[in-house]
Amino acid sequence: MTTLDVPLLRLQDICVSYKGNRVVHDVSLDVAGGEVVALIGPSGAGKSSLLRSINFLETPESGTVLLSGNEVGAGQRRGRTQVSKTALAAHRRDVGMVFQSFNLFPHLSAVENVALAQVHSLGRSREEAKKRAYQELEHVGLRDHAEVSPAKCSGGQQQRIAIARALAMDPKLMLFDEPTSALDPELGLEVLGTMRRLAHEGMTMIVVTHEMHFAQDVADRIVFMADGRIVEQGPAKELMRNPQHERTIRFLKAVRDR
Amino acid sequence: MSLLQEWQNFLPDFLPGLWVTVKLTVSSLCVGLPLGVLLATGTTARGRAVRWVALTLVELGRGAPGLIVLYLVYYGLPQVGLTLENFLAATVALGISTGAYTSEIIRAGLNAVPRGQREAARALGLSPFKELRLVVLPQALRIVIPPLVGFAIVLYQGTSLAFAISTPELLSRAYNAASISFQYTAALTLAGVMYAVLSLTAVALLGIRNPLKRGSP
Amino acid sequence: MADFLQVLATGIQTTVLITAGAFGVGVVLGLPLALLRRSRNWLLRAPVIAVVEVIRAVPPIVWLFLVYYGLSSDLAQLSTFQAAVGGLGLIAAAYMSEIYRAGIEAVPDGQWEAGRALALPNLSLYRRVVLPQALVVVIPPAATYAIALLKDSAIASVIGAQDITFHAFQETQASLQGLSVFATAGLLYILLSLPIAAVARYADRALVQRMAA
Ligand SMILES: Nc1ncnc2c1ncn2[C@@H]1O[C@H](COP(=O)(O)OP(=O)(O)OP(=O)(O)O)[C@@H](O)[C@H]1O
Ligand SMILES: [Mg+2]
Repeated sequence: MTTLDVPLLRLQDICVSYKGNRVVHDVSLDVAGGEVVALIGPSGAGKSSLLRSINFLETPESGTVLLSGNEVGAGQRRGRTQVSKTALAAHRRDVGMVFQSFNLFPHLSAVENVALAQVHSLGRSREEAKKRAYQELEHVGLRDHAEVSPAKCSGGQQQRIAIARALAMDPKLMLFDEPTSALDPELGLEVLGTMRRLAHEGMTMIVVTHEMHFAQDVADRIVFMADGRIVEQGPAKELMRNPQHERTIRFLKAVRDR
Repeated sequence: MSLLQEWQNFLPDFLPGLWVTVKLTVSSLCVGLPLGVLLATGTTARGRAVRWVALTLVELGRGAPGLIVLYLVYYGLPQVGLTLENFLAATVALGISTGAYTSEIIRAGLNAVPRGQREAARALGLSPFKELRLVVLPQALRIVIPPLVGFAIVLYQGTSLAFAISTPELLSRAYNAASISFQYTAALTLAGVMYAVLSLTAVALLGIRNPLKRGSP
Repeated sequence: MADFLQVLATGIQTTVLITAGAFGVGVVLGLPLALLRRSRNWLLRAPVIAVVEVIRAVPPIVWLFLVYYGLSSDLAQLSTFQAAVGGLGLIAAAYMSEIYRAGIEAVPDGQWEAGRALALPNLSLYRRVVLPQALVVVIPPAATYAIALLKDSAIASVIGAQDITFHAFQETQASLQGLSVFATAGLLYILLSLPIAAVARYADRALVQRMAA
């Protein structure tokens, strides 16, 4: 196998449990560099749990996460994957995450939000971090909001600042957990626009979403999950036009009728 | 003699007492706030033993009357060979009460920072210590400062308990002056006014709502 | 241990009576204060605000001294017990008035509007509609305040009321076992507060359930 064949992200037999209640069952998934994957499925399917296990916000009960072919953490103890603190921090620097509720730091201005982890996680100098922060804000069209407190921005603007904050870390992979669900449709569109541009620029992305238009137009591949398992996956347009599995058909019909 | 005239006679003697009261408030805060932070982190710790010990200390500190804690330190510690003079004993006792009360305030402040904030910090690869220092504490501090200032005002009044172990603070001065001159009403109202003026000014200046919510510590 | 526990126990009755008496004064006087403070008439409202704020801005022990040494000698000789109940009751009235006020304000606007739309006279509106709803909200904070009052009652020993703290102090002077005596006294106060805390928790739960229903 040449390095070209190694997927950027490989999940092997990932299981996630909450207090003994398993909600993700042995999920395996490969994502190639530059690929955009939309993760869809009914509420409670385990989409968020799977996504959050990729950067260990939920520690998988079992299974392995490989980034560029390197396993994150090593071995298991007491039934949970063990990851050293330094390995975890290094992994998280490589994986950006955008939350449904933005989670911007309210005590910092927009530019400070984007600069904080560059300084304190990556170890960049303050000037360098600030310069980069302005660039990233420019990138999401918010250069003029740099000094503003997040609380004074619209939801759409806040989410774009959050995207800039993640991008400034030079991640290899971006995770989005329903980034537009907390937004009015109009504001959602400006965020989706930013994500669309990011996809065109070649960023590898996994997006949990209920926006079927976005999934169909922007994603290369759609993965449909239900009851903690991947039920069906395939090229985006094909899966949308011609779903095979009965669960998928039911779900897509319900979404379209809505 | 009119009341105002009597007040005028008392005032030079009372002002040094007020100064002791203020010093006692500040020194109790210096002992109590670090203790409060310690207890707050203790009650939210992972280890069950630590959590249990911290919770017990908080409940004991809040459950017993401030006067009892004061007597315990002043009259009780000599039993184990530790004799503190009255100002120090009052500082320790009020510091213990302060620690117990403020730990609840601080814990509430830490809990009030939304979970997503910690998650975002972690997702950016910040270490647990930096997550606390750069993300959680700055936000918790904003939540915690108004109730802490409110508590400081309650504590300022609570220092009057130190009268019971003859610390020469405001109330002791007033009581002594009263028992010499037999002008109890005049001396005590002046002390009351001096307590009230400082409390009410602080409340007004800081614009805190209802800081004097419960009894003294 | 056993003998000084017996000595401390003789103070329980006084501690409980002072607390209950002062709380009773607060419960009774607090309500009219709360209603006056909500009055639309500025002349009624202002003095009440001033009194409540001043009472709370002065340490309880100062009030106790004022009642016992000041008022008492000028007017009629009060016993230490009467002075303690009077002084602490005065403070309790101020705190209870604020608790009542918060309770009344917790009754939704719609309830007032519905009452007014039905042309209920003000008195019936308060008695039949607002207060029954406010009282439920008032019980948990009132119980919490009762515990604070129980602890504050210890200062009555300073003017010579023979409560738990008073006996603990006497015992210490005699036995020089301050640590054990005051530790026991502290636990005794905590023990006495447990039933009140139980009331608070029970009322709180009932309230939450009622709100959810
Ligand atoms: N922190 C938690 N503790 C306990 N159970 C949880 C927790 N988080 C999620 N769950 C449970 O795990 C299951 C999967 O949840 P998850 O959030 O991964 O689903 P989802 O597909 O993202 O759903 P949604 O579309 O509603 O966000 C659900 O049954 C949920 O109740
Ligand atoms: Mg989800």
